[in-house]
Amino acid sequence: MIAPPTLPRALARLLLPRDVDRRLRRISFRDAGHGYDRLGMHPDWVRMAVGLFNGAYANYFRVESHGIENVPAEGPAILVANHSGMLPIDAIMLNVDVVQKTFPPRVPRMVLDVFVPKLPFVSSFFARAGAVSGARGTVRRLLEEGELLGVFPEGTPGISKPFSERYQLKPFRVGHAELAIRHRAPIVPVAIIGAEEQFVQLKSVDLHPFGAPFMPLPASPFPLPVRYRIHYGPPISLHERYPQEAADDPAACRAAADEVQAVVQALVDRGVEEREAVFW
Amino acid sequence: MSGVLVSGATTPVSRALIEALLAEGRTVLAVAVEERWPFEPHDRLHYHQVDLTRDRCIRELLFGPARELGLTAIIHSAHHRRTSDSGRKIRALNVESTRCLVQLAERHPTIERFIYRSYADVYRISPELPQLIGEDHPLELGSWLPQVLRDRVEADLTVCTAMGMGSLSIAVLRCAEVCASNSGSQLHDYLQSRVCLRPLGYDPMLDVLSIEDLVHALQLALASDAQGIFNIGGRDVLPLSAAIGAAGKREVAVPGPALGPLYRLRSLTRGSEFNYGSNRFRFHFSGVLDGRRAREVLGYVPEHPIDWPVPTYVRD
Repeated sequence: MIAPPTLPRALARLLLPRDVDRRLRRISFRDAGHGYDRLGMHPDWVRMAVGLFNGAYANYFRVESHGIENVPAEGPAILVANHSGMLPIDAIMLNVDVVQKTFPPRVPRMVLDVFVPKLPFVSSFFARAGAVSGARGTVRRLLEEGELLGVFPEGTPGISKPFSERYQLKPFRVGHAELAIRHRAPIVPVAIIGAEEQFVQLKSVDLHPFGAPFMPLPASPFPLPVRYRIHYGPPISLHERYPQEAADDPAACRAAADEVQAVVQALVDRGVEEREAVFW
Repeated sequence: MSGVLVSGATTPVSRALIEALLAEGRTVLAVAVEERWPFEPHDRLHYHQVDLTRDRCIRELLFGPARELGLTAIIHSAHHRRTSDSGRKIRALNVESTRCLVQLAERHPTIERFIYRSYADVYRISPELPQLIGEDHPLELGSWLPQVLRDRVEADLTVCTAMGMGSLSIAVLRCAEVCASNSGSQLHDYLQSRVCLRPLGYDPMLDVLSIEDLVHALQLALASDAQGIFNIGGRDVLPLSAAIGAAGKREVAVPGPALGPLYRLRSLTRGSEFNYGSNRFRFHFSGVLDGRRAREVLGYVPEHPIDWPVPTYVRD
């Protein structure tokens, strides 16, 4: 056990404002028999994770979000966001935002790089909080069960790109488009503004602990207190334009992924243009 | 009601299955290595002592009493259970007897259905692979596995190979671990010590099946004529730490590399059957059976949780 079962509940109660804690007790999940879902998510852990990051969310990064109504209240859907900032803080902020702003609260199943399950403690913590490894079989089944996925199709190249390339999206992988077409799930484009400036990366060291794709060398030991802005765009219904068979057509998937990338890039450009300052 | 041959009949699972089949009104031909049926007799229960490691014995069984009773199905679940054992005789029981049963059943005049109880152990557990295991999940073919586990993969594939090759209707049930004594359960052996050591920083999800649910799945497979492979998951899907807690044991997290030597030492000094080497992946990374196919085709839904702490089945 990475913590006794009572600890997450007590910490959530301690860290979260009472009304938020009460709201988050409505988190729905499929109990596989012992209070956990089949992938290890536990609602108390989700609440604790939200509580742990709520300080950073509300006070440090002062996250403001727009368009949460674009996230479907139920049924399969995929959040597709830009990825940046050296560490996946953007994923955590997006997760906290969706859990806090949807009602009944939806826990986006953030899809992690496949090296994450190898990391001690981190793997268990993320699994309890609802994140899943990026293996195709797992995410496919989650969509079939009507879950909300969170995907960063830029992958590692996005999070490790140099400061000079900020807000220029790296080419999207096609997996999200294939999943959306195959499982008839809408894609909600998401632009996360602010993460690009949270760390300035001096160098990427060629070390791969636990199979990590890179080891960043940041200019500051802590993320800078940038202001996060999250923009949810209107859902893209690829499945209304692509037949299910197109999921097996590489060209169609590539075209669909490019289309999604263009929408996310436009959302990012607009968000960057609209903000008046990086830190406030 | 048609009759059924049940191999490995004296194990807790087969015994519960036989009781359920008799309650359904079926005739049962129970076979095992014991000289006599050690439990309550029944007028529709026929017992034969058979050495399944010998082809001749299997032939005489199928074309003797099985034909006379007009049996229409075989439920094969006889396997060697101790992972520390190895050798030709054990392979003969685990693999060759399975091959022989399938081949002879193919040309048997009355047998139409063959149900093979396989194990979730045949699946490979790895961080790169899906945590939800479908029937198309990669199999574990590592040479580092103990012979008994390699045999399980080979026997499973042997039965799968025979699917669609003839008129015999074959179902392979890849079952989650039944955590009970005398059933070859590594988890049961692991949970027998007062202090359970587990890898520091990892707490994977386990899938544990109750005997009641396994028996129900076998009955459904028997009643159906659906062919193919079916994952049979349990009602208890829980983290390793929660399993230790539910069993009323104390857990101590130890760095992963130290666990192998520690459990080897324990095995030498205490005679424990638990083999950490063959469990090290599933003690680090989650692997839970996705039972959707069994639900859709067989109508199987796990309903009976384990009666924690782990029940011990003693032969009476």
